[in-house]
Amino acid sequence: MTLNNTLQKMTMRDAFLSRVYELAKENPDIIVLSADMGAPALDKFRKHLASQFFSTGIAEQNTILIGAGLALEGKKVFALAIAPFITLRCYEQIRIELAAMNLPVTIVGVGAGFGYDDSGPTHHAVEDLSVLRILPNFTIHNATDNVMARAFVDLSCKMPGPNYVRLDRKILPIIYQEETDFSQGLSVLKESQDIYLIATGNMVHRALEVAEVLKNHSLKVGVIDIYTFPINEKLLLEKIDGVKKVITIEEHTLPGGLGSAVAEILMDNNKFIPLKRIGLNLSKGYCYKYGGRENIQSLYGLDKKSLAKTILEFAKK
Amino acid sequence: MTRKIEQLKQKAKYLRQQVLEMCVRAGTGHVTSSFSCVEILTTLYYGGILRFNPKDPKWKERDRFILSKGHASPILYVILADLGFFPKKYLEKFNQADGKFSVHLQHDVPGVEITSGSLGHGFGVAAGMALAAKLNRELYTVFVLLGDGECYEGSIWETAMFASHNRLNNLIAIVDRNYLSVIDFTENALALEPFEEKWKSFGWRTISIDGHSFEEIFGALKGFRSRRSTQPLVIIANTVKGKGVEFMSDVPLWHSLAPQGQDAFEAQKELENENDAE
Repeated sequence: MTLNNTLQKMTMRDAFLSRVYELAKENPDIIVLSADMGAPALDKFRKHLASQFFSTGIAEQNTILIGAGLALEGKKVFALAIAPFITLRCYEQIRIELAAMNLPVTIVGVGAGFGYDDSGPTHHAVEDLSVLRILPNFTIHNATDNVMARAFVDLSCKMPGPNYVRLDRKILPIIYQEETDFSQGLSVLKESQDIYLIATGNMVHRALEVAEVLKNHSLKVGVIDIYTFPINEKLLLEKIDGVKKVITIEEHTLPGGLGSAVAEILMDNNKFIPLKRIGLNLSKGYCYKYGGRENIQSLYGLDKKSLAKTILEFAKK
Repeated sequence: MTRKIEQLKQKAKYLRQQVLEMCVRAGTGHVTSSFSCVEILTTLYYGGILRFNPKDPKWKERDRFILSKGHASPILYVILADLGFFPKKYLEKFNQADGKFSVHLQHDVPGVEITSGSLGHGFGVAAGMALAAKLNRELYTVFVLLGDGECYEGSIWETAMFASHNRLNNLIAIVDRNYLSVIDFTENALALEPFEEKWKSFGWRTISIDGHSFEEIFGALKGFRSRRSTQPLVIIANTVKGKGVEFMSDVPLWHSLAPQGQDAFEAQKELENENDAE
């Protein structure tokens, strides 16, 4: 069985943690801190590498602080919890210990966007990109598939400063080849001369689906996957050079998210390309809707049908 | 011992004067928060407690000292300058445009381990360093100085739980229990008592002392490198915020102020005469 076949059957956190396990077996300086987050791959870690695993309890602030202390003494720390908790509850610890002191701790958040679709707004990670991408020295790695999630472990181990790996709770289709180089921060998945859909995380898959739908409407759009923040500005500008319109798609609040980040780059570089940002509009408030992720997405215009409609209208303007 | 303590008293007097001079010149700095922990820091740095090397601030075997109440940076900066971690002239540039540091603690200053100023952080970092020492089989001790007001932060108790569970007996917390936070006495504002019992119930070995008595500080630290207990140790050092200057002592609103004008003159005079009166 190829690696990708194996990975396709795993949750994203297992794909990530199984790679952490492989590296930690060889490197005793790799430490996992879990703020009460489990996973089958973590069970193996706890059993065989017990001295490299610490439960920090449901105490995210201390989790980051312990991670910082370990990092100061040369350890490579992965701090693991549900995404909104390990980013927002301990935001100030991330700001001071990790960003201001530039310490190489990797925060691992599970449940990007509406991944915890059955759990309501307490468990949705829909502001984390906005609040973390504004920190100096800080990098966000938002995973699109399990190949990427696995590669993010290796990238994290080479980071001189802190980063946040944002994992989906669901199993997403694998779209990348084994051994893909993700160091450039973005990939063009479909080329276009006219219109690009720019997406991140799970919405990359949706963008690819919508691109197929739009083909039937004689609209050929390209797809760019952005998986690292700060965005590789030079590369993005190069890739969208000469296109007529750009649409960003994210399962995340609009202020400060992917669309904002792209808009900043366009404006700062005098690229006055018409831009449509599609994501969670604040006017809709927090999401107390259920019935599965697709259903929730449809309420925000992020389902395939609504997206195709919005994009067609924007393309015709 | 008596002679040593006499020398330490003289050193404490000198350090208070230096703190005052630096903060008066800059017009800012937490003088009273520094004064309450002068004897504690004097013991650690001049009493043969901490292992350190001013020529090699990151010396691997050094003991780690974390000033979690980072607003007391003036006393630490003054000590580090006095010990030769960096030139004394840096102190003259406290809070100046061409200076290296100001009111809160900065990790890039030689001899300083972490950036600190937001409370409830340094303690957890110290516990992480103590855990690393256990994992790496290194023999350094991690000292961390907490403010009592700092103990309102929930993260302090997250760390307290973690440290005792993981048997970090190489971690020594000293609480500067001056009974004051910014606007009021702790027991009026929001009671911290029963304080020692809180630490006990979190699995810590506790000792309560007079934090201005060198004898008691030494007593609490006796044999700290060969502790048999697997529990981390907290020393609750009862202190007076502003100790050394009567009119600034135990007055809430002096928290972040440096005295100016006649006040500065009076404070200097009182410090100058401090030991002579005893």
